[in-house]
This record gives sequence, structure tokens and C-alpha cells, in this order.
Amino acid sequence: MIKVRKSIHPCATDTWESIAARELAATPLDEGVASLQSWNLHVFSRAPAAADSPRAGNPILPSDLVFLEPPLSAQ
Amino acid sequence: MDIVIRNGNIVDGSGRPAYIGDIGISAGRINQVGHVSGHGATEIDATGKTVSPGFIDPHTHFDAQLLWDGAAKPAIEHGVTTIVPGNCSLSLAPLKAADRMKLVGMFNQIEEMPLVAFEQGVTWNWETFDEFVGRIQQDLTINVAPLVGHSVLRLWVMGQAATERTATATETAEMQSLLRQCLDAGAIGLSTSFVDMDEKLQPVPSRYADHAELDALCAVLAEYNRILQVVHEFYDIDLTIGRIDQLAELSLKHKITTTLSPLFINRGDFEGVDRVIARIVEQNAAGARVWPQVQTRPIDISFSFAVPSLLFIRLRGWYRVMRFGTPATIMAAFQDETQRQQLVQEATSMMPLWSALILRQVETEANQQYVGKTLAEIAELRGTDALNAMIDLSLEESLDAHFISADMGHNDDDKVGSMLRHPHVMIGASDGGAHILSFSTYGDTGYLLGHFVRDKQLLSMEEAIKKITSDTADIWAIPDRGLLKSGYIADITIFDANTIDRGPEYYVQDVPGDGHRYVRDAIGVETVIIGGAVAYDHLQGYSDEHRGQVIGAPQR
Ligand SMILES: [Zn+2]
Repeated sequence: MIKVRKSIHPCATDTWESIAARELAATPLDEGVASLQSWNLHVFSRAPAAADSPRAGNPILPSDLVFLEPPLSAQ
Repeated sequence: MDIVIRNGNIVDGSGRPAYIGDIGISAGRINQVGHVSGHGATEIDATGKTVSPGFIDPHTHFDAQLLWDGAAKPAIEHGVTTIVPGNCSLSLAPLKAADRMKLVGMFNQIEEMPLVAFEQGVTWNWETFDEFVGRIQQDLTINVAPLVGHSVLRLWVMGQAATERTATATETAEMQSLLRQCLDAGAIGLSTSFVDMDEKLQPVPSRYADHAELDALCAVLAEYNRILQVVHEFYDIDLTIGRIDQLAELSLKHKITTTLSPLFINRGDFEGVDRVIARIVEQNAAGARVWPQVQTRPIDISFSFAVPSLLFIRLRGWYRVMRFGTPATIMAAFQDETQRQQLVQEATSMMPLWSALILRQVETEANQQYVGKTLAEIAELRGTDALNAMIDLSLEESLDAHFISADMGHNDDDKVGSMLRHPHVMIGASDGGAHILSFSTYGDTGYLLGHFVRDKQLLSMEEAIKKITSDTADIWAIPDRGLLKSGYIADITIFDANTIDRGPEYYVQDVPGDGHRYVRDAIGVETVIIGGAVAYDHLQGYSDEHRGQVIGAPQR
């Protein structure tokens, strides 16, 4: 089997913080959030939802794939 | 017999070796293959020519064009007899009157279909999928197997909330029943997108759906044994593999076929592509059906500053000027010292790209001398750099200077050929009818048969034809098409295997509202039969026969 990078589908209300708290529970929150952001530039580099949106400030979309580990080449 | 094709080299779509024979056609179907003794009302001498099933193009965006052109020109001239529109989460139905302009905006942004074409080429007389099918069935020459777009289902059920949040349980159930109505009316499956942006550069509605919503819609596809098409994050290998796993899960759970496109094969990333294919093979071994689509043509992008171009999508300053500006404001931005400097600064790091651009077309006599030269060469002649030469030429031509960025990738013959041949790869992703201002999406099959089969000999003719006929029909559950076999519908392409190809790309004004697009003529395709009647002949052009069907739609 080829090695596949671990990822999740976010929940509807997920933020960087909620994913870090749930999936990287053993890591301090700040560190977990920073790691998630650096592993998910496809989400992090996106403009967050506009201020008048119910998702204001959150760039994570419900259809995203969010990686829980760095690229395999970096491991 | 209505038509008899005599003495052709029959490549029947099964992949088995070609042979010399006749084909008899009556009442729209093939009724004899081999020796035909009876006489045909029309006799076609195919001596020295290849006779194959009509080609099926599984990834197109001909949705809008079908409203003013039931032949989806020039698809048929290239031998294509069936197209799948409605890909990438976008279809023109079901669509409430109030949402029309929103969808037009998305088509304009994502597929580069001009707004004025919708204004002048479209009479909006449908809302439901069934009404849309009825609308395009009038004067239909090509066969259409339409997908219904996930973004459109969301828009119908959720209105503005479609681009804000996940669906409630009630809304999901409503989308399920709406999808059932579409499938009953003839939709071949559902399309969704994980990457596209709307006219405000915000994610399209389907991207606000969570996995549970997609799962619920796939449960409906399962009731009908229909396919799910996805456009995924094709620029990243790990994301592509993640999406393959997601599709495999849906495929196994619901026993449905899934396909993702496009899969590009770029130098420097062959290892990544091999991992993608290895994952596809593993998931297939586990029982899942996930088909990556690979296009035949290399990537190139043409543009002028008169319309927003894909090439600038990562340069925010440039893209905003092009996307939201008028010709006058774009010219003004180039003329304004400060703004020009900012733009130049933003794009300087990509100087190798600008230097390699070729000037392909200008209006003024004075600049004709530069046509065919790279911007690096032109810059040298003018004593400036490539970026400034591009801006200067655009100003001098009132933005009607056309540039091409050639060979941008997907152009390693051996590697692309091996992928096109791969048993787990579907040949597709032409994007026919889309991006009409960036490149020609027509002629990919001619390129396959001319370049990869005849010139490079990386596939046999039988293999290549099977890939774009019976394989595609099987994967998409299109019945009675894709083989030259008694009882099958007579969709047939007759071509010269020694000459078949795609012609050079050119810019033509044939879109409603005086719009332009890039097209390619076919070379070597002689006769195209659809539904048992000659639809196109290279000497006589298009006939008056309109035998195209919306596949899967109830007979009207
Ligand atoms: Zn598409």
C-alpha cells in the first residue's frame, strides 16, 4: 500500500482551533493551530469568509480536506 | 437499408483487431456488420478509411452553446457524437428565474462564457431539468448525456445560503428529491467541485457542502446507478490522493462509479502522478470505481487583456484589474504611472513566463512585424523588458494584442502516452466549450489519433478508439453506444487514419453577441453519422438531420 497523508473532512462549524483541540489534543493549542496552518496552505492562503457571512473570518470550507500531518516528503 | 458503409477498415470499439467490412444501418441502428448484401439508400465508399464508433467526450461545458447550437460546433466535425455537459458542479438546470444571473456569473467566471452571449443567445424559458432537456432537444444534432451540477441543486434549495453554510437535514432531503427529479428527466449523474470560484471570486456553492451532504446525494445516485463527477485540487498530489480516497469510500458505500478530472502529468511530478495511479489501482483492487480523466493535449494558454485570463489568477492585482475592469479602466491602469509600476512589480518574479510568451495576433500594421516572436525577442528589439513590452503592445493595440503561453505542461509524450494507455485511466477532460478565450478545447481526439497513435505509436488505433468509445460508454453507463455492433445505435465516425489530426488554433468571432473564441478545425474526419443519419460530411458540411438525443431522457 502507498503511504497516504492523514486528513479529515472538517465539521460544519470547525475552525483551526477546534480541529487542533480535537485532532492534535496532545499538542498545545497555539502550536497545533500553527502546525495545521502550515500543513494546509491550500486553506490557510485563502481569503477568509466575509464579515457579513455566518462563517466570518473562517477560511475553512465544509468540503475541504484538512491534513493532520506534514507532507510525506517532510516527515 | 438507409445507409451502407462499404469496405471500411472497421475499428469496432471493442479493442479487437481491425478488419475490412461493411456496415448496414436502418431505422437509426446498426443492423449488419461484416458483409452487407442489400443496397443502401445512401452508399458510402469507405475504402482506405477507418470506420469507428462516434467518439464520446465525457468532460465538457457545452451547456450554454447547446441553447443556440444543437451541433456543439465544432465537436461533430472532430468525430465526437456524444458530449457530457454539466461538469464541475455547474449545469443550466434546475434553475429558478431569480438565480439566472448568479449562474451566468459563475459560467462567465469559471468557463469564460461571455455574459453577452447569454444575453443575446439565450431565451430563458425553463426552470426545471425536465424543461431544460425539452428545450435543448429541439434541433439537437449531437447526443447529450447531461450531468446535473451540485452547486445548482444547492442554489435551488438554499438560495443565498448556498454560498454561506452547510445544509440542514430538511434542505439535504429537498436536494435529494430534486436530484431524483433530474435523474428521472435524463441526467446522467451529478457533478461537484472542490476548487472553483464564483463571479465574486468566492467559493462556488458546492464547496459549502460537507461530506455528509455529498454522501446523501450519492445515495440517490445509487438508486439510479448513476455517476459522480468531481473537479478536485488537481494542482496538489496529496490532495488528489485524499480525494481519490474520499471517492473510493463513496463508491464502495453506494456501489456507484466516480470520476475525477483533470489529472495533469507535468515534468518534475512524474513520481507524484505514479503515486496517484498506484492509489487508484489499490482502491480499485478493494472494489471501488474511481476513474481519473487525462486529457490528450498539452497545456497552453492564450490571452489578451480584453478578458480575464487564467494565467493571471495567482497575481491578485492583475487579476482584479482584468476581472472587474472594463477595457477603458484596464487601459487606464496600464497608462497610470503608479499603477503600472505596481503591476510590473507584482509580476516581475514571473519574468521567465513573460519572456517566453509569443505574440500571436495584432490589429495594427505597425506591429505585424512582431507576430510569431517571443516577448523576449520583441523586448530586445524595442529596448525594454518582456513585461513592459507586453503592456506597451496591449496599449498600442487597444488591448487586442493576443499572446500565447505554449507548452505549459502535460507535454511529455512518453509519460502522457503511457497514462492515456493505462487501464485505470479514462481519456477525457477536454473541457469542450469552456475556456473559449484561453485555448481551443476541440480536437483532442484528433490529437490522440494523429499524434499518439500514428506519429508516436504509443497506443494502437484499436486501443485508442476503445478508450474514447466503448470504455467511456461503459464507465458512464451510456447504453447502446460505443461499439459497431448489430443492434447498437448508429453513431459512426469515418476518418482517414493517415491524416487525422487537429488543425492549428485560431481566433474566430462566432459566439452570440459578436463574441470570440479559439477553435481548431478537424483534419481527416470525413463523415459523421449520428442516430443513423449523416450529420456532417467534410465536403458538404452539416446536414439538416437532427437525430441527437438526450441520453436517458424519456421519449417525448
Ligand atoms: Zn470542467
